Amino acid sequence: MDMVWVKNMEPIIKVENLTYAYPTSKDFVLKNISFTVNKGEVLAVIGPNGAGKSTLLKALNGLVPHFYGGKYGGRVVVSGFEVLNTPISKMSTKVGFVFQDPEDQISGLALTVWEEVAFGLMMLGYPREEIDKRVREAIDYVGLTGLEKRSPFELSGGQMQRLAIATVLALRPEVIVMDEPTAQLDPLGKYEVLSVIEKLAESGSTIVLAEHEIEEVVYFADKMLLLDKGEAVAYGDTRKVVTMVEELKRRGVDPPSVTELTSLLKEKTGVDVALPVTLEEAVKIYSELLR
Amino acid sequence: MSVGVSLLKKTTIEAETFVQRLDGRVKFLYFLWATIIVYIFFDPLLNLIFLAVTMALAVYAKCWKPIALTILIIVVPWILFAVPILALPLGFPWNKTIIGYINILGKDYPVYLEGLGWGVTWPLRIAVAISTALLFFLTTNQAKLVATMFKMKFPFKLIYMVIATFQFIPLLASEANTIMQAQIARGLRTDVGFVQKIKNYLAVVIPLTLSALNKVQIRAIALESRGFSAPVKKTLLYEASFTKLDYAFLMTMLLVTVFLAWVYVYIGFSPLAHLPWIWSG
Repeated sequence: MDMVWVKNMEPIIKVENLTYAYPTSKDFVLKNISFTVNKGEVLAVIGPNGAGKSTLLKALNGLVPHFYGGKYGGRVVVSGFEVLNTPISKMSTKVGFVFQDPEDQISGLALTVWEEVAFGLMMLGYPREEIDKRVREAIDYVGLTGLEKRSPFELSGGQMQRLAIATVLALRPEVIVMDEPTAQLDPLGKYEVLSVIEKLAESGSTIVLAEHEIEEVVYFADKMLLLDKGEAVAYGDTRKVVTMVEELKRRGVDPPSVTELTSLLKEKTGVDVALPVTLEEAVKIYSELLR
Repeated sequence: MSVGVSLLKKTTIEAETFVQRLDGRVKFLYFLWATIIVYIFFDPLLNLIFLAVTMALAVYAKCWKPIALTILIIVVPWILFAVPILALPLGFPWNKTIIGYINILGKDYPVYLEGLGWGVTWPLRIAVAISTALLFFLTTNQAKLVATMFKMKFPFKLIYMVIATFQFIPLLASEANTIMQAQIARGLRTDVGFVQKIKNYLAVVIPLTLSALNKVQIRAIALESRGFSAPVKKTLLYEASFTKLDYAFLMTMLLVTVFLAWVYVYIGFSPLAHLPWIWSG
């Protein structure tokens, strides 16, 4: 599939002092948020419920403010397009959006998996030969080959979410935005979807992902942004953010278990070790400690 | 099988018959044509002929059961209700011609031709409209339906509304069921009288409405994110085009129209049942 990008220092997403309030909200739900995402990077947006993660993601493809309205300040530039001045239909070719509940993404016009993946391309008026090629590639990429003629409603949760990712991949967006794509899934479904995301990350896709499964995300996220009550509390290298154990816990976010365990151990025993963020790192550190 | 799938199976009956192969526009035209003709004439027997032809097509296309069921539920009770009210001396203003008497509780009451004719003709007109419309919907799959409506210059948003409605009704039914179970789990009693039952429905209808509005908004957002409103010509997976079969069907309709025009001019608006003219007939 034609989806390999090289990580470089060219920012594909630039968010500067983004401030936003929904027409119905009393307070601002995003307050002076700034960050950049370079081509090929994965940014994980973490934070408790109501932190503003979904709203922030919706600001990347123009749903905020074009769909919702409301008070908007600051600047969001994606792939060279200032979101405020670009219609959603245009942004949809640049930014692919995967929602939390896969069933919400089923178009309602497609009878089969194949047609569902083709839907976005049809809406954008691609020629049929191109649709056929891209749909085949996207279905193959997410591992749904053989289920093309199945109704989307007959798929399991994990399969349905992978279908949702395929619908986005078929559009070959420059940025893939995922809003807690594993939140509604069982463990097997989570594993299936996270595997696809990891594969995308390894192939150099630019991804912005809101996710509670921090333990899994640390394997492929280059950067993290911690949001709380609409404010960016921490932003930077994944390791830097997930090792802020106390800060994360204070904000209602669980750090990886191994990081938390080691942090507690350091606090209680005074042992001087680096905080691991993955299970493999922890095994290595503890093996050395126990030797 | 999820509710969505069961619905899709209900809405389109896939079979390899000429009815399914007919272009959607031809079947839609058949629906309009039959509905208009049975309205122009005032003849229950003619309506029955149209209904019989449509049902024959439905039997051939293997979709007669839902059509028959719909007519049974809507039209038959209507006839059973309307005929006694209109045909007996209960105030139908055009009643003039007595065709017989009916004995009710030892007393003879006249039965009027005008009321009887009106009470049978109108529900049968509706039966023709319903059956032809259902024949169109049940034998035209969604891809063809979209292509057909698109070719007929319907706005794409309207096309989406029509198609999506078929998918969302059972999803809402399932949602209503979940809400009902949740409310029962919270103490909503079901072994109550009629008035309380109506009140109970509010406990379902209000959260269902809110949930539906929420779902509609989320769906709208998801569609926007996939280029639904892009100002470009949409690509359709199926191209609607006429075949010899479609032309043959259209030609048959044309010939029948010419014949019926002749019947109307030379025999009248009620060529088989010979009903007298009444207002709104």
